[in-house]
Amino acid sequence: MKKNINPSKIKQFKPMHEALSLQDAIKEANRCLLCYDAPCSVGCPAGTDPAKFIRQIKFYNFKGAARTIRNNNILGGVCAHICPVEKLCEQKCSIQALENPINISGLQRFAAEYGEKFGIELLEKSAGKESKIAIIGAGPAGMACASELAKKGYQVTILEKEDAAGGVLRWNIPEFRLPKEALERDFKNLLDLGVKIKYNAKFDSEDAIQKLLIDSYRAVFIGTGLSEAFRLDLFKGFSNATDYISFLRTVKINKGYEALVNKNVAIIGGGSVAIDSAVSAKACGAKKVYLISLEHLDELPADKEEIELARKLNIIFKSGSQLTDVVSDMGQIVQIKGKEIEWIEPGEFIPENAMQIKGTEFSLNIDFVVQAIGTKPGKEIRRFAGSLKTFGKGIIAVNENFETNIPGIFAGGDISNGGSTVVQAVADGKKAAENIDIYLDRDARPCVSTVRP
Amino acid sequence: MTKKADLSISFCGVKFENPFCLSSSPVGNHFEMCSRAYDAGWGGIVYKTLGLEKSFKVVMPSPRLSVYNYGDKRFVGLQNAEQITDRPIKDNISDIALLKKNYPDKVLISSIMGYVDEDWGELAKMSEDAGADLLELNFSCPQMAHKSAGHRVGQDFHAVAAFTEVVKKSSKLPVIAKMTPNITDMIPVALAAKEGGVDAISAINTIKAITDIDINNFTPLPNIHGHSAATGFSGPSVKPVAMRFVSDLCNSKELNLPVSAIGGIETWIDALHFLLLGATNLQVTTGVLRYGYRIVEDMIEGMSDFMIERNITSLNEIIGKAAEKIVDPSEFTTRYQVVSVIDEEKCIGCGQCYISCRDGANQAIKFDSETRKASVDKERCVGCLLCKHVCPVWDCVSYKEVDTETTRHAAIF
Repeated sequence: MKKNINPSKIKQFKPMHEALSLQDAIKEANRCLLCYDAPCSVGCPAGTDPAKFIRQIKFYNFKGAARTIRNNNILGGVCAHICPVEKLCEQKCSIQALENPINISGLQRFAAEYGEKFGIELLEKSAGKESKIAIIGAGPAGMACASELAKKGYQVTILEKEDAAGGVLRWNIPEFRLPKEALERDFKNLLDLGVKIKYNAKFDSEDAIQKLLIDSYRAVFIGTGLSEAFRLDLFKGFSNATDYISFLRTVKINKGYEALVNKNVAIIGGGSVAIDSAVSAKACGAKKVYLISLEHLDELPADKEEIELARKLNIIFKSGSQLTDVVSDMGQIVQIKGKEIEWIEPGEFIPENAMQIKGTEFSLNIDFVVQAIGTKPGKEIRRFAGSLKTFGKGIIAVNENFETNIPGIFAGGDISNGGSTVVQAVADGKKAAENIDIYLDRDARPCVSTVRP
Repeated sequence: MTKKADLSISFCGVKFENPFCLSSSPVGNHFEMCSRAYDAGWGGIVYKTLGLEKSFKVVMPSPRLSVYNYGDKRFVGLQNAEQITDRPIKDNISDIALLKKNYPDKVLISSIMGYVDEDWGELAKMSEDAGADLLELNFSCPQMAHKSAGHRVGQDFHAVAAFTEVVKKSSKLPVIAKMTPNITDMIPVALAAKEGGVDAISAINTIKAITDIDINNFTPLPNIHGHSAATGFSGPSVKPVAMRFVSDLCNSKELNLPVSAIGGIETWIDALHFLLLGATNLQVTTGVLRYGYRIVEDMIEGMSDFMIERNITSLNEIIGKAAEKIVDPSEFTTRYQVVSVIDEEKCIGCGQCYISCRDGANQAIKFDSETRKASVDKERCVGCLLCKHVCPVWDCVSYKEVDTETTRHAAIF
């Protein structure tokens, strides 16, 4: 079953993938070989177990499929929309030796929506473990960690800085990729588990997190993600240059971006968020959208499907290119200049390894610039990290058990892995929850005395 | 110019340009439909069964079809509650006459069903007068609303013999008796028909079956205003059963009559299977219900190419070629034993063979989780070939003969 993308939906800020009908889902599930020790399930970082839910669909056990997804991955409905399946489960699909891989994301969405539509019982909390645990950030890692702990019976409270849950899922992933309803559905499952959430949570002292441990919680999980985008010095001070985080957020809230209508837009970057920004710019009515990346076309970190979509929308790829200069007028960028590059050492896609090629100069008339060149931890976490050990751009150091240097404080997702996929954040959150459980089980030591300076 | 093989056959002394016929059903309902079928290339048509409205007025139930689906495959089998023709006899007879006038070289077989002796005789005579080439006696419709017709006759040896005799007395045409499979052994009924004087046997009519039940209202399908019934089942699903009955008929030395085979034929390979079992004529309905008359083009072209490739000049050269190989299981040799051989190059690592052998055979497949390749433990393999049949790669698993002296061929537990 081909994944049909409907570009007209994108312009309406509606999900671009058509849902599989019951008949389509049955047909697709019947293509599955039902592998032994299925590679697709091995390929899912979050342990969603696609092999099992596909088998359940094939044998008409649709609610069972929905249960499998929800029990294994609290963001199963969300992941069905946004997972880079071509690099994960579908990439491992055995049937590829014979034909197209199974449309796993389509089946996952089908089952998740079936469960919602026809109703499956609420997730159940088990009894026995009653310690209180704080989760910082209601993004993918925090939600996954919270659900696992709640299922074990812990009293979980999520502290969220915004006034709504979801993190990147709510604010940054465009509606055409992830419909709100999918997030709301998964989030409701979390609340059904009795997880409490405090919005507009603020941390104003350096030892705020340690204080949580002392005051009321036996363990803390940090899942704040990376909320601040890098920006190039080249664009500093120009009001018509922004970063993808604020750009995508504005588009998502306003369902549009007035300043872009009929304008030329340059997106800097070659990853999924760059493509999301480029496609969003098109959806907002931009005239020409350029995607300028150091990576050449075949080196772009974005998914094939995303690149294909961008091509369909006539987004112009200036791949293998580096910016050299900006021409401005009255504090506004009016033109950007660049050159094509080649790599000094093959395989290392960083600016320091790029060599500009003479005679390849180009200049583009640009009205708006969106920078999508990476993210770092936000100001707040940098402030309250206190004595938490960090490295690089401020990434929190954790061991293989997702423990920070402070006992009782764990971290997972982008804030500790440096920036990865949503499904990886879910995986981190789940594993951290296991380790928090082990940590709390170890003994009944009082929490205060364990805090080391 | 495409080379064409001679597909003609002689059946009960009647020449067919090819053995592909429509079986008695809605696909041969009236003049216009039959004309188009002949134009499409069908060698013969068994016209939809005639009856006399003065004896029994047919009114069709509705809805009257239901399908058997498997997974995402629809229409693997078809259940119908169709009756014989509901058209007035005079209209059907004039259509038959007109068809024979317009298509003198095509074969028209008149299927008839009576309720009493006189009906059978009258229908036979009318058909002959209209120009039909053969008669087929419908002893086998499994859902006739009339209590003493259809397969109820076909299960009664005496009625079969008696009605056949009446027909033979009333008409000089060759007569085919159409058998019901809703019986343990078809041979005694066929012999009763032979006793009555039939010239050939056709089989199988549809199998009484229930295809589906609506799980919302617990009503079997087709849901005929709250009721349903076990009625005639046909299509690809029934072909294996049809092949068994056709084989029984063709291999019966006592019967020794030509057989017109019916049951799940859609392709030239299906057709060839029945010819190889000994049938000399073939009939199709469900394939046409599903895909239309046009499928005969592919049967003709496919069969013709096969004959040319294999240097076969007449179908008679291959008719019955597989029949002698059908024996009683007690005659199998057990000195010949095989083990499976998996082609590692072709193995795509799905492990279906591993699961099936583990849970359904003798735990003789090893699966390497690192390389994701399956291999056969020759000591444990009993050569059932379950692995071959579940493998999604058609030519990945084969088998080879093993020395029965050194290999244990009983399940090891």
